[in-house]
Amino acid sequence: MSFPLLTCILLAPVTGLVLILLTPGRQETLIKWIALAAAAVTLVLSIWLCLKFDPANTGFQFVERLDWVKSYGIHYSNAVDGLNVWMILLTSIVIFCGILVSWTVTFRVKDFFANMLFLVSGVFGVFMTTNLFFFFLFYEIAVIPMYLLIVIWGSTNKQYAAMKLTLYLLLGSALMFAGFLYIYSLPGSHTFDLIQIKQNVSFTAEAQNVLFLGLFLGFGVLAACFPFHVWSPDGHVAAPTAASMLHAGVLMKLGAYGILRVGVYLLPEGARHWAHLVAWLSLCNIVYGALVATQQKDLKYIIGYSSVSHMGIVLLGIATLTPVGFNGAVFQMFSHGLMTALFFACVGHIYDGCHTRQLSDLGGLSKQAPVISAFFIIAGLCGLGLPGMGSFVAELLVTIAALSVYPVIGIVSLTALLVTAYYVLTAVQKTFYGPVSEKASHLRDIGLFQFIPRAILVGCLIYFGIFPQVFIHLISVSTKGLLGA
Amino acid sequence: MDILLFLPETILSALIFLYLCLALAKKELSPKTLTRLAGLGAFVVLVSVVYSMNFSGQLFHGTYRSDLLSQCFKALIGLGLLLTVLLSGSPLAVPGSRALEYFVFLFSATLGMMMISSSVDLLTLFVSMELSSYSLYLLTALRLDRRNAESSVKYLILGAAGSGVFLWGASLVIGLSGTASFAGLIQSPASAQPAFLLGLVFILFAFLFKLSAAPMHFWAPDVYESAATPVTNFIATASKAAAVAILVRFLMSSGVSAALAGLLGVFAFISMTLGNTAALLQKDVKRLLAYSSIAQAGYILVGLLAGTPEGYASSLFYAAAYLLMNTGVFLVVHLVAKALKHDNPQLAHFDGLAERSPKLALLLLLSLLSLAGIPPLAGFTGKWILFSAAMDQGHWFLVLWAVLNSVVSLFYYLTLAKHAYLEKPSTKEPIVLTGPMKSLGFGLLLSIIALGIFPDLFISLAQKAVSGALIP
Repeated sequence: MSFPLLTCILLAPVTGLVLILLTPGRQETLIKWIALAAAAVTLVLSIWLCLKFDPANTGFQFVERLDWVKSYGIHYSNAVDGLNVWMILLTSIVIFCGILVSWTVTFRVKDFFANMLFLVSGVFGVFMTTNLFFFFLFYEIAVIPMYLLIVIWGSTNKQYAAMKLTLYLLLGSALMFAGFLYIYSLPGSHTFDLIQIKQNVSFTAEAQNVLFLGLFLGFGVLAACFPFHVWSPDGHVAAPTAASMLHAGVLMKLGAYGILRVGVYLLPEGARHWAHLVAWLSLCNIVYGALVATQQKDLKYIIGYSSVSHMGIVLLGIATLTPVGFNGAVFQMFSHGLMTALFFACVGHIYDGCHTRQLSDLGGLSKQAPVISAFFIIAGLCGLGLPGMGSFVAELLVTIAALSVYPVIGIVSLTALLVTAYYVLTAVQKTFYGPVSEKASHLRDIGLFQFIPRAILVGCLIYFGIFPQVFIHLISVSTKGLLGA
Repeated sequence: MDILLFLPETILSALIFLYLCLALAKKELSPKTLTRLAGLGAFVVLVSVVYSMNFSGQLFHGTYRSDLLSQCFKALIGLGLLLTVLLSGSPLAVPGSRALEYFVFLFSATLGMMMISSSVDLLTLFVSMELSSYSLYLLTALRLDRRNAESSVKYLILGAAGSGVFLWGASLVIGLSGTASFAGLIQSPASAQPAFLLGLVFILFAFLFKLSAAPMHFWAPDVYESAATPVTNFIATASKAAAVAILVRFLMSSGVSAALAGLLGVFAFISMTLGNTAALLQKDVKRLLAYSSIAQAGYILVGLLAGTPEGYASSLFYAAAYLLMNTGVFLVVHLVAKALKHDNPQLAHFDGLAERSPKLALLLLLSLLSLAGIPPLAGFTGKWILFSAAMDQGHWFLVLWAVLNSVVSLFYYLTLAKHAYLEKPSTKEPIVLTGPMKSLGFGLLLSIIALGIFPDLFISLAQKAVSGALIP
């Protein structure tokens, strides 16, 4: 076996977690540096992974495999293709920035960073594994620390939001669990290995339809698919800054990734059968999320509902079942991840300074804190799909694919973009311009250290907005292969 | 060789004899000494089980069978005994004046359970079951307050009714087939008659009583609540392992027909639903755990009714995982109760446990998450293999229902964890852990995680045990 790069990416946060647990809780600075070092190692390794990734290879690369429970077909096996290589990079960027942003955490520091690293280990695990058992295992590992992060360090109705989020996500995972076991029980299967299942199991049409629906609903909960999105705005709002970044930035992508990796990859016929349903639901996401966002008073709720709306674009891209749509969906996952992370990183700072997120209490922040305002406005521009930003290309690809497959849905989703522009600009105008409000007068701008994580996110957004080819180049082979073409 | 097959049981009998002699000697030994002696004894029993792990053979004219399967279950029961003895060092749990009786009945209950897991004959089985049951009735009655007396009488009456039903079923089955041995039952030509099937179902009722599964679950909440915490732990762990042992052995011989699987499916459905819904409303932690154990019994039934070697092996695995995680919770309950000087801690008494003792809070959290089936803990892996065995036989609805139930169960498990981590404590007084408790807790914690992440060794052991027992 060659150098187990993927396992190293997974082990870096795990090692950091163990080190943090061994460090006494008083040494807060040391704990923060350990967490940062772990995140930095994953970031470097993920960049290295992207550089060494061979875009011409149609199959899985960097394959690692170890028997775990042989009699049940459970292997510890990792591999990447064009889909998850980007998701791994996204995760490592967001966790690196997230840890930098949480440098200001002072309450139960040790537990906080331990939870963050535990969560991110789960996320990495889901993105790299090719075994359904480990997929599920890592998925749940990602959910439980989220509960703790919200309930201990959160704000605004946190107990309610945390319990709601956890129960919703586990309800989704219950459907996944049953679906995975059903796949296991099919004739010729008796393994949880994704690649072997793809090769050996011939699903009947009925099995495809039932399974895809079950798995889609299961994953759809995490992807905040309408009508299962209700946990997500509450969760975003209640979570502490770094957790919101990870949550909206990465965790919701697990659901969409699952639909692609398990749903569409294993069950292309089932996907075709339900594609219309997925498309209509995604339209509900886009329109409903945007409309609700216009009515929100709390800055974080606006972003929360905008996430619902943007995840709709991802789902619409998937529903087109075309390579272009998939490319757009994955690109949207990537750039939306960076964008919401940036949003929450800015809102977190504003909330720390002003102790409010109500639009009516804010105003004139751009005079008080020009740098953080600039970052927020950049994120906002990205959110409404300004050319030159990552989201623009992603939304363009999805819209092109959607217009050719579902013309009506495509056109309606286009008009929803206007609503997006409306609420983003309104929020920006009310928050950053006009007279300086009393609460905003306490706000200080960010220092150089806090500048770095936000600058990294902006840099990535602009880089991939200007050079989308870098991104498309690596995924197109894999998205073409998804439907078994 | 024969004595080696019966080695753990012999040692247990010797222990009972020793404690009875001590009672006759009229020499007052302090409860502490008795507990230590009992701990040593339980350890020796456990070692002897492990030593006799690979012996197999029949005893007493083929009515008693020691093989890897029975020895695995005996190891679990022995471990349950050892853990229970370790939890017994509190005057709250065992009144000093009754320490001798307490240990005598604890040992005799263990002896009965070990014999249950080796019985391959209905009459031997009945004797073993009565031995363990009557010991348990007495153990639950040791506290002697009104509440306690009421619930132990309830336990006794329901248990006696269960035994009666068993005898009725056994008389039908034995009368129709002319044999009492499990192996003979299946080969008998009468096995298709309705009366025979009815007899089988009656016999199963007695097993379900021990497992605290619906429709024989009524005793569990009261008994769990009113018995001393170590006794509750013993009933919840060792006794459950014995129940799983006999269910595995019995279903293995009788086979699981479609009708039987349907019936067990209904019971599993009711157990899970009822246990989890009722647990949502509980304030008393031990009562909550009783309902949780009813729900857990439902999950085990889902695996058992698959009727395949995988199903049996995963039930064995789950019984082991269940023993560890349940003891983890009971250890915390016991220590909280000890600090509280009241043996029935309510949810509110767990407030701020994380501040009073972070280690205990962590043990509680992980044990609860494991009970809820959250990875990477033992309970998760156990549920995964249980349910995949059932799914393999096409019981998709039950599996889906069981998984949804696990989500519901997470709500009340998390509620308890929330009290420990988020509520402000009413007293700041830290809970001091003694050395043995600390290492016990640490051991439980490690084994819950290890069994979850590296289950292969135990799964293959369980599969070997089951396949070894399948050959008549």
